[in-house]
Amino acid sequence: MQDITKIRNFSIVAHIDHGKSTIADRLLEMCGAVAEREMEEQILDNMELERERGITIKARAVRLQYKAQDGETYELNLIDTPGHVDFNYEVSRSLAACEGALLVVDAAQGIEAQTLANTYLAIDAGLEVLPVINKIDLPAADPDRVAQEIEDVIGIPAVDDAPRVSAKTGLGMEAVPEYIVKNIPAPQGDPNAPLRCLIFDSQYDPYKGVIVYLRVMEGTLRVGDRVRMMQSGAEYDVVECGNLGAKTTINTGELGPGEVGFLTASIKNVRDCEVGDTVTHANAPASEALPGYRKVQSMVFSGVYPADGAKYPDLRDALEKLRLNDASLSFEPESSAALGFGFRCGFLGLLHMEVIQERLEREFDLDLITTAPSVSYMIHYTDGSEKMIQNPLEFPDGTELDYAEEPFVAASIITPPDYTGAIIELCQERRGVFKDMKYLEATRVELHYDLPLGEIIYDFFDALKSRTRGYASLDYEISDFRRSELVKLDVLLNGDIVDALSFIVHKDKAYPRARKICEKLKDNIPRQLFEIPVQAAIGGKIIARETVKAMRKDVLAKCYGGDITRKKKLLEKQKEGKKRMRTFGTVEVPQEAFMAVLKLDED
Amino acid sequence: MAHRITPTARDERPVGIYIHIPFCRRKCSYCDFYSIAEFDDALCDRYAAALVRQIAETAPTIAGKVDSVYFGGGTPTVFGAKRLCAVLGAIHKHFSVEKNAEITTEANPESTDKKTMKALRRAGFNRVSFGVQSSCDLELRAMGRLHDFSAAKAAVEAARAAKFKNVSVDLMYGVAGQTAESWRQSIADILALKPEHISAYGLKVESGTPLSRAVEAGDVLLPDDDTQAEYYETACELLRDAEYVHYEISNWAKPGYESRHNLRYWRLEPYIGFGAAAHSDAFGIRCAAPRDIEKYMTAVECGGEIFEDYDRIPPSERAFEYVMLALRTGDGIDAGTLRRSYRLDPDAAAETIDALAEQGLVARTPHGFRLTERGALLSNTLILKIFDALKPLENRFAKEKL
Repeated sequence: MQDITKIRNFSIVAHIDHGKSTIADRLLEMCGAVAEREMEEQILDNMELERERGITIKARAVRLQYKAQDGETYELNLIDTPGHVDFNYEVSRSLAACEGALLVVDAAQGIEAQTLANTYLAIDAGLEVLPVINKIDLPAADPDRVAQEIEDVIGIPAVDDAPRVSAKTGLGMEAVPEYIVKNIPAPQGDPNAPLRCLIFDSQYDPYKGVIVYLRVMEGTLRVGDRVRMMQSGAEYDVVECGNLGAKTTINTGELGPGEVGFLTASIKNVRDCEVGDTVTHANAPASEALPGYRKVQSMVFSGVYPADGAKYPDLRDALEKLRLNDASLSFEPESSAALGFGFRCGFLGLLHMEVIQERLEREFDLDLITTAPSVSYMIHYTDGSEKMIQNPLEFPDGTELDYAEEPFVAASIITPPDYTGAIIELCQERRGVFKDMKYLEATRVELHYDLPLGEIIYDFFDALKSRTRGYASLDYEISDFRRSELVKLDVLLNGDIVDALSFIVHKDKAYPRARKICEKLKDNIPRQLFEIPVQAAIGGKIIARETVKAMRKDVLAKCYGGDITRKKKLLEKQKEGKKRMRTFGTVEVPQEAFMAVLKLDED
Repeated sequence: MAHRITPTARDERPVGIYIHIPFCRRKCSYCDFYSIAEFDDALCDRYAAALVRQIAETAPTIAGKVDSVYFGGGTPTVFGAKRLCAVLGAIHKHFSVEKNAEITTEANPESTDKKTMKALRRAGFNRVSFGVQSSCDLELRAMGRLHDFSAAKAAVEAARAAKFKNVSVDLMYGVAGQTAESWRQSIADILALKPEHISAYGLKVESGTPLSRAVEAGDVLLPDDDTQAEYYETACELLRDAEYVHYEISNWAKPGYESRHNLRYWRLEPYIGFGAAAHSDAFGIRCAAPRDIEKYMTAVECGGEIFEDYDRIPPSERAFEYVMLALRTGDGIDAGTLRRSYRLDPDAAAETIDALAEQGLVARTPHGFRLTERGALLSNTLILKIFDALKPLENRFAKEKL
């Protein structure tokens, strides 16, 4: 068993693009965790999508062996955290497995909303937070200012202490592991106490079943032990346990207190070992589970349908496979008159939704039609009953509806002062409730707003980015449900409601949204043999209308001997194109039209 | 010889002959037909010899009589009357050409004179098709044409003087600079020439042409599809008033002057093409010579493989071709032919046809149905819709018969 005084468990907190993964890469390299020939950029982000988007979606952990200046070899466990607000809970569990965190701040950009949010998570979890100033090689770098900012805003020493590095070039990096060993406390825990391990991630492996990533808080975990997940109640016999290499798991047969590692136990279902759950011994269980567990809750919902109806079973299989690895993805079958059979999927947030959709299309080669994202609404009926709904189609008629509630988030936006006006305007447009505003320093303002989640998932990030030229950063967490004047907006094509296009919207927003959606559909529905009215209605009352004019010309003027084969091919192509369209009554609607409705831009 | 069209069964149906002359003095900006603008007498002679040899070698394999010959291009008239007559002579020599066969050459006004016309007429040409395109000189220049309208008039007069009794004129709408008025004017000016036959084509921007590059770069602004549709309707109306029969989407003729050769294409009748880039469809096979004059000539001269694409068209595709092509014509689809030759059940499409008839896009005929003029404008969509609705008759028969 590892000498507990030589263990250091830490994670890295940073805003997107501030260089978290690059710092991790350098540390791995310095500690010889990966041979140079195996070294690839951002080794911990091993999903193709993660590398492409430059974000971490899944948490990862790796053990580093570091020979410090005092001559001792330390075990540094780096737990990489997802870098997006959608995954706040996962971040908090990863942090709970650590004693310290490196706070990586870009020497040019300084502190961002997300940095702050995650830093507070770390401080709340009682972690030692160690600032590192990265990207000092950039021409615009101003490490002194940023160090001062860290001291002023977060209140931790940085001016004299924070290593100033360039993870990209390696400059100054040798100070970092030493800094970790000296400043992050060693974990504590009694090897003989009842076992308590915190699950901070899991991954499905087709040969071993679920690989559970955990941190032993107390007690000792051994191969052959019968363990119980305290929240789910599931019990398993441990097949393997041990440490985490950069690319492999190392079965050592035993994990003691303070250690970070994995276990496998032929677990079929990730839901049996959710993030935040506590692993204990089945025959000598701990009296209490570790604090902080929360059942994952989907916040954003969307109907996901195969473009080709025959691919429904493929979509189901694909979702099931993704769920093996992602306990936060939920789905249940639903059907739509317009789109046929599909699934109502629940996601942690918008990014999570996009990532899942992209993986379905990419890894499983599916063409999807997705409905506009929506949130959960609490419906109070006139008969006194209440129900949480996720699908706009469940929204009741006027007579049945007493009132509806929608989820709100507490949002924090950090911005240079120049853009506060624009942000206040945006938040107002999005029905935000102003809480407070404070200067973090002369050049940065933090605004707090309560915003309806439904407004955030509707293009809020893009609007914020475009109105602040990318300078503002946003963080939020779900706060509560509040009563709102909500209505269901239906879209009619040629007089028929297309159920898949219905959505719930605030009464005051209904008109502009209705107009915009009609315009978008008009632009994206190809002209057909007859004129098609595109209408939006609330409870049968038409509030917006556009018209797709009848097609006038679709003809090949010349068709002589040499043209016949070509013309045949052209028509075949046209026919293929039609296959990708959905027919609603007599109207053919291409997938792009659905996509366009989802992306109702500001302009 | 496997590389020549070989009849698998003795087919005695009359055939049409197409001769491709791939020479132009200048390429028009919109044109994507195969032609070259750099050539000399030696090349023309060599090409003529290749044509004659291909004709001589192919003729013995063809049983049917020739009832139409069509020289297209390119610009046949820049090839010179002498060579055109020599090639036609070879056709007469090796094939059995019917006495009243329709023998057409395309001609451009700027390369036409009385002497040429007389020579062609004497050699047996009895129909000439002029690429006039417009009566507005500004539009002609914008298209990259080499003639003006006065040259076109002179050319038609020359043909008349040479006793051509069947003259066709091509027009184009949807070209840069065209207006509703200029289009009406072009039609009126053409009608004044009293041609027996008129083709009017909507301009299509073909990829790879200078025009498509210019349009992409924003240097040329073309009338949009709706405007083209209007111009088409104008043509329909004015030519109907002038008592022309609208017998194919883009073709009108005085009664009895419908182009026999072109009707072959729309009736799936056999034709044999000679020359570079020429297509053939005979004995169930469709094939094409390379779009490369050098390759073509070398193949002929060495007795090698001439055709690049051989396509044996399966019966199901023939059925689609029939629907696609018959719907181009004024006669439309014949229900009996659909049943007998293509084993498709016209009754299965009755509901679709009725709905389209209701919308004024299709009209029933005594023996089937056809597209209306409004329907013709939407023919691509309608062809797919109608073919989709036609269900095969019992498969057992379909397999045996075809």
